[in-house]
Amino acid sequence: MGAQETASGDHVRVRWLAPQQMGASAETLGFYFEVDPGWHVYWRNAGDSGAAPRFDISGNGDVGKILWPYPERLPIEHLTNLGYAGNVAYLFDVTARMETLELAVNLEWLVCKVDCIPGFGSLTLSRPAGGGNSGSESRWNQDDLTLRNHFLARVPQPSGQSPWQVERLTRRGDLLRLSLRNTSGRHRDGQPSVFPLDGELLQASQPTLEIDGDRVHFTFSKVPGAPAAEATGFVVVDEGSAWQFDAIPIVAAPVVTAVLEEETQSFWLLVLAAFAGGVILNLMPCVFPVLSIKLFGLIDQGSGSRVKEGLLYSAGVLATFAILGGLLMVLRAGGAAVGWGFQLQSPSVVLGLIVLFWLMALSFSGVFEFGHRLMLVAGHSRGGSFVTGVLAVFVAAPCTGPFMGAALGAAAVMPAVYAMVIFLGLGAGLAAPFLLLCASPALLHRLPKPGPWMDRVRQLLAFPLYATVIWLLWVLGRMLGDTGWVIGTVLMLGLGFALWIGTSFSGSRRAKFAGYVMALLVLFTGFGTLSVPQRDALQGSPELLSGWQPFDAAAIAQARAENRAVFIDYTAAWCITCQVNKKLVLDTAPVQNMFHENDVLLIRADWTNQDSEITAALAELGRNSVPVYAWYAPGASTPELLPQILQERMIAALFE
Amino acid sequence: MNKPDLMSSHLTSRKLYAVRNFVLALLAAPTLAFAAAVPGEKAPDFSEVDAAGKSHRLADYRGQWLVLEWFNKDCPYVKKHYGSGNMQALQEKYTSRDINWLTVISSSKGKQGYLEPAQALEVAESHDLNASAPFLLDVDGSMGRAYGAKTTPHMFIINPEGQVVYAGAIDDNDSANPAVIADSANYVAAALDASMAGNAVAVASSRAYGCSVKY
Repeated sequence: MGAQETASGDHVRVRWLAPQQMGASAETLGFYFEVDPGWHVYWRNAGDSGAAPRFDISGNGDVGKILWPYPERLPIEHLTNLGYAGNVAYLFDVTARMETLELAVNLEWLVCKVDCIPGFGSLTLSRPAGGGNSGSESRWNQDDLTLRNHFLARVPQPSGQSPWQVERLTRRGDLLRLSLRNTSGRHRDGQPSVFPLDGELLQASQPTLEIDGDRVHFTFSKVPGAPAAEATGFVVVDEGSAWQFDAIPIVAAPVVTAVLEEETQSFWLLVLAAFAGGVILNLMPCVFPVLSIKLFGLIDQGSGSRVKEGLLYSAGVLATFAILGGLLMVLRAGGAAVGWGFQLQSPSVVLGLIVLFWLMALSFSGVFEFGHRLMLVAGHSRGGSFVTGVLAVFVAAPCTGPFMGAALGAAAVMPAVYAMVIFLGLGAGLAAPFLLLCASPALLHRLPKPGPWMDRVRQLLAFPLYATVIWLLWVLGRMLGDTGWVIGTVLMLGLGFALWIGTSFSGSRRAKFAGYVMALLVLFTGFGTLSVPQRDALQGSPELLSGWQPFDAAAIAQARAENRAVFIDYTAAWCITCQVNKKLVLDTAPVQNMFHENDVLLIRADWTNQDSEITAALAELGRNSVPVYAWYAPGASTPELLPQILQERMIAALFE
Repeated sequence: MNKPDLMSSHLTSRKLYAVRNFVLALLAAPTLAFAAAVPGEKAPDFSEVDAAGKSHRLADYRGQWLVLEWFNKDCPYVKKHYGSGNMQALQEKYTSRDINWLTVISSSKGKQGYLEPAQALEVAESHDLNASAPFLLDVDGSMGRAYGAKTTPHMFIINPEGQVVYAGAIDDNDSANPAVIADSANYVAAALDASMAGNAVAVASSRAYGCSVKY
């Protein structure tokens, strides 16, 4: 071997892996890099820093592309590199065309420990060619052949031969999630390693791993600011073999068809999310009044059976969730298009809640004594704690907080048992803080002792209830138009008068009776008027900004056909997250300007009332609760769903 | 405490907004650990002292263009661009157009590329540094980490509004050979020229190549 057959630099020596004589057909040759211990050279995608070696090959043979043995992850301080710790052979196929194969190559490499040293060198190769193909192995030096074969076995094979097949590559914000499924039909002990081919797009660090039966999901982080790609490739390594997947299409997540499968996979995560959602529900304004009532009851009660109360409350919450979940399952099975929060789509339910909270508020203010009896229901007795739990769920439902949307969306399409577990997870989350307060002596000791101040607290607690009544009146107004709040307020007036009659003439049984009769009459009339169709005022909601149009499937389809961007705001008056997003983001001048400048068709799908078309559209997105923000980029075939908590920059990001 | 008058009460919506932000922060916590300067977003704040003892803060450059360059005199890729005069030529070209250019050393004490202030002044001299200040000495790595500087060189461009316009490599050829510079597309020059002319930047992000920053 001549001196030109090797090259060397700091910590690296390079030589050919080649037979003594070339055959007639293609042969795999290599550059063997002997690297000092502790130092490393790089794969085709070098990772966070570093650089792949370069091979500039010329000569009289047909030279193929460089074949890169699969790498390993090399954590170097705060970075991750992709390469080889120790010796490696970079291979390529070559077919001799002449009687003598002549190759010359200019090499450049980078060898690093923590510090990096570039190396440069050139090699030449001259081999007689044209020997038959028989016994090609005998033309090799045995050691070199072993080395060549060792690294050739590490070169990725075509993806079709892989036991792992790509199910989906989804993008969620700055994360890319690759889902692989084991299709080999046999159990594989470990999980595969996956290396991204594109270092401009994805970070080299170890992706997070989720295992789910015969599926494995890898979540990679995008390089900050890297433009969105339509497709990208990976090398999958398992049990010493590797396969290369090129140009896997990237789909925006969650995608319509992906919801069922994907959400089923991460089932326990969903339960956890549901639990967290339930806990957060406690913070939601529509739950707070109920909890404040109950808390008041606890204080009043002093020591004793608080844990029991907490458990009863939890039982009430869980039972209600179970019943509502079961109801949803039944309706779903029956094919009814309903969604979460549906009970607040009924004006009678809203009116009922108005009456309930109005009476509670009046009693808290000390207008009448019936409140104490109601307090018995809502606060004191064991049945009361249970009922409080029931009540909490009922009014909490529309406050679809973060986490809830996805969990409920999944619940709607998952097998009934799973859906029920998710419902109960939500319930457990809702009940947990309260139960904790009841169970923890430390927390209980911090509760103040009962005293005269309690009356003032009780009176204070009336105000959130009044506020709740105002909100419910507003919801009713959104449902029925102007008549809605007229019905509501007249009913309140009537009830107030009936209470005055019933309580003002103390001791008079007749007065009490009259009060009851009057209250019943008022209630009967109030609810009766609801059955008269009142929906005329509904559609042209005056609140719509000029930019928003009501839901119209045909208009959406047409805009998409014209490659016009479409933004759909699935919202409802009883959905607080929706209103906050609307006020703080969607209906602000900068966002409206952005939409306007980009000629976006703005659709406000108002789900305040039951609307089968909107329910169907939501179901198609895999959701059955609001808010949902669907963005159809111009010409995009699938929508991108935005987070439930919107920020202005998320909208801005749509137009970058 | 309740939401009914949400639409009219700023207090309520602010409170809700605070809750939202809290939840968002919870959700975002894992990603916050990898803070970085991201094109299109606000540039991270910094406050560092240069080799001459003068302090520099992001706020000092509000309303002006700013280029940040990560440096390690012993890194072969830094040598590629300084030995060839490429980096100094870029510095001169753009600082002469009233663009600020800060060259940052984030090597910690005892690591490759670390320089005491006096040494840094000498290196600035011997390297014909044409930046707006002698090296910024980010010994604790706070500025480098805030920007997510991974390699030397690693380049960032910040516009007068304080937004990151470009983050990544200096050019499109990760060879250590200075001979390739002539045929390389310089991302920094392209991004500066385009954005100063009010045009979109064709490549706003790239994989920074070079040696790891020695935090």
